[in-house]
Amino acid sequence: MRIFDPHIHMTSRTTDDYEALYASGVRALVEPAFWMGQPRTNVGSFIDYFDSLLGWERFRAAQFGIRHHATIALNPKEANDPRCVPVLDEIPRYLVKEGVVAVGEIGYDSMTPAEDEAFSRQLELAREYTLPAMVHTPHREKLAGTRRTLDVVRESGIAPGMVVVDHLNETNVEMVKDAGAWMGFSIYPDTKMDEQRMVAILQAYGTEKVLVNSAADWGRSDPLKTLSTANAMLTAGFTADDVDQVLWRNPVEFYGQSGQLILDPIPGFDAAELPDAAAGFEGNSVLRGVRA
Amino acid sequence: MTTTAPAMPFSLGYGTNGFTDHPLPVALELLAEQGYGAVALTLGHPHLDPFAEDLDDQLSWLRARLDELGFRIVIETGTRFLLDPRHKHRPALVDEEADIRLAFLRRAVDIAAVLQAECVSFFSGILPADTSPQTGWQRLISRVADIVDYARERNVVVAVEPEPGMLVQTVADVLRLRAELGNPDNLRVTVDIGHCVVVEPGGVRGALLEAGPLLANVQLDDMPAHAHEHLPFGQGAVDLPLALATLAELDYRGVAAVELPRHSHDAPGLAVRSIMALRAGWEASGPARELDRWLQESTTAVAADSGALAKIFATAGRRLGRGPLWPDTDPAGVLFGTTSDHGRGLLIARLPDILPADELAEALLALYDGGDSSERRGVLRGLGALAAASPKLPAAVVTAGLRLTTEALRTNESGLVAAATGPFAAAYLDQHSWRHAVLKLVFLGISLSAVADLAERSDDELARMAADFATERRAAGRPVPADVQLLLASSPRTSTSS
Repeated sequence: MRIFDPHIHMTSRTTDDYEALYASGVRALVEPAFWMGQPRTNVGSFIDYFDSLLGWERFRAAQFGIRHHATIALNPKEANDPRCVPVLDEIPRYLVKEGVVAVGEIGYDSMTPAEDEAFSRQLELAREYTLPAMVHTPHREKLAGTRRTLDVVRESGIAPGMVVVDHLNETNVEMVKDAGAWMGFSIYPDTKMDEQRMVAILQAYGTEKVLVNSAADWGRSDPLKTLSTANAMLTAGFTADDVDQVLWRNPVEFYGQSGQLILDPIPGFDAAELPDAAAGFEGNSVLRGVRA
Repeated sequence: MTTTAPAMPFSLGYGTNGFTDHPLPVALELLAEQGYGAVALTLGHPHLDPFAEDLDDQLSWLRARLDELGFRIVIETGTRFLLDPRHKHRPALVDEEADIRLAFLRRAVDIAAVLQAECVSFFSGILPADTSPQTGWQRLISRVADIVDYARERNVVVAVEPEPGMLVQTVADVLRLRAELGNPDNLRVTVDIGHCVVVEPGGVRGALLEAGPLLANVQLDDMPAHAHEHLPFGQGAVDLPLALATLAELDYRGVAAVELPRHSHDAPGLAVRSIMALRAGWEASGPARELDRWLQESTTAVAADSGALAKIFATAGRRLGRGPLWPDTDPAGVLFGTTSDHGRGLLIARLPDILPADELAEALLALYDGGDSSERRGVLRGLGALAAASPKLPAAVVTAGLRLTTEALRTNESGLVAAATGPFAAAYLDQHSWRHAVLKLVFLGISLSAVADLAERSDDELARMAADFATERRAAGRPVPADVQLLLASSPRTSTSS
């Protein structure tokens, strides 16, 4: 089974996690720029962070056989600090870098005028640089926030197929689907979504334009939630091809619109080494003979 | 492909040693007919006797004829029995007595000065049976120094040609010779692409890249990998399209002449077939020349607007690919970089023609500071290319380069550390920092083949550091990297304590 985690903050994770991700079949991932937990107070703090996403973190991932990509943006939370906003002038030069596959995370945290401004400007950047946009939905006021997000996306003129709206759940999935945007789901140990609810959403809305991620960061989270969701899908009767679509081909298609995905195996790590899907699934024989 | 290939940046020529059954005027006429634009003239029988009484008259006729034909010329000196009718190529520069060889080479320099030839090419010679390599090398050093001085006073470039079986048989040998002579500007390199498949560890491409900006003369031929036997194109192991693409990539603008000294019996036919093979090879080298196109476009764009550099640099991987430059010896592209690292480095090596030194230094800092890891490796490779191309870089460039090199050496990213130990570090990094850089490579498990001038700069203190490191590893019951032995086993030249 090959897995692409479309949203995971590896900077906050250990090398044990990298080893476990590789062992679980994760061969590529996207690390969106977000906040650090501790608020930043100046532009230089962002610059070092962006540079580390494209430098040290990519190198670190490659040591474990994983292709690391990034999205770059001023995140909604810190868009509210006037000391941080000037980083918007630095972002364009990052959008032409290798392996920068989207503008993100952008969107809303508290739905302030400052967030409006940063969101609109960065959607404009996504259009200008022909990059997808990776949009975070607020933890509080999620439904109202998602509605407003979709309005801003529509007004910006960006093609909805170039946008993923992330951290969705049962309450807002339908409006995002109707808008023609990609639907992102973060599978968490106890907040956001879990594997069983995810399977139910897939059963209800299908596997198209769905991205499943672990969104693992410095909080309580689990980088292997992509694998456990894949296993839950198989248990529920989805085919290996369905799993491959959701956990690999969908993120490849979405971020591939950037022209910046690099998916060749890392030298020294064999492409043929992917763990056997059937063997990985607790002896269940559902996959036997099915896997292409 | 139906697109017309751009013109070769170098001039195709033919060696007169492949036309020994034709008088020189006739040979020149035939070559011009076939579309050649240069001639590699071997002095001596039968075309031009360098000691002839009427030499001046012959030379003025020849210079006029070259002008009429629009021909360029290089002087070759590999005449077999000119100096000793009984022994091929003797006396050689490595022999005990070589006065007539030196007199001949000085005469060749005189002739080149009169003809405004691009260079005088010569080889080292086969070591006599009773002579040690050390003795031969010392003889060679002092004699080449004489020739280089003599040529410099006459504004003539001399180029040493590595020959299989001779004391100097690879480009690396020539570079070592050059380094020991203090890197004189008018001492360059001749590469025969056929020889490369026999003796060069990096093959044709590796040898040409190693010669890089020092390449002053190229001989074209095919050759089997197991024997020094000049063959018509298509009959040996030379990848001609790759060789031509590599010359284009280096922006080589000199003469590249067919070298078939044993085929005079069929010279007119071979001249035709050779140029057809070269044109076909050039067409076939299209994809490999993508790098060359990118360099041309990029330098033009930067010359028009230096602000274009940042984006060109950032997006290089999309045009040039990101695979290892040497997949066989360096599959991860750590030691010698990736194709885009290499391309970025070559672009930087061209910037001195476009930007004044201060702006170049500023550009290097901006590209590095604003770059991701691959761009930073490109800047470091570029510094290496600049240092390799010029004996003395402007102070502003050196200052910038040292800041970036030390910064890269502080990282733990293997590709950056390896790229920071190239020719720039070899030329400019202080001894303490340089030793730590080398030890860091060992510590990170990176082969020391990444290091430029390892033997030249190794010293007692580095050997001591390597020994301590090995002791520490053994104490921990951990394996000692094989390259530590390389440092311990090296015979240090100096024992500086700086």
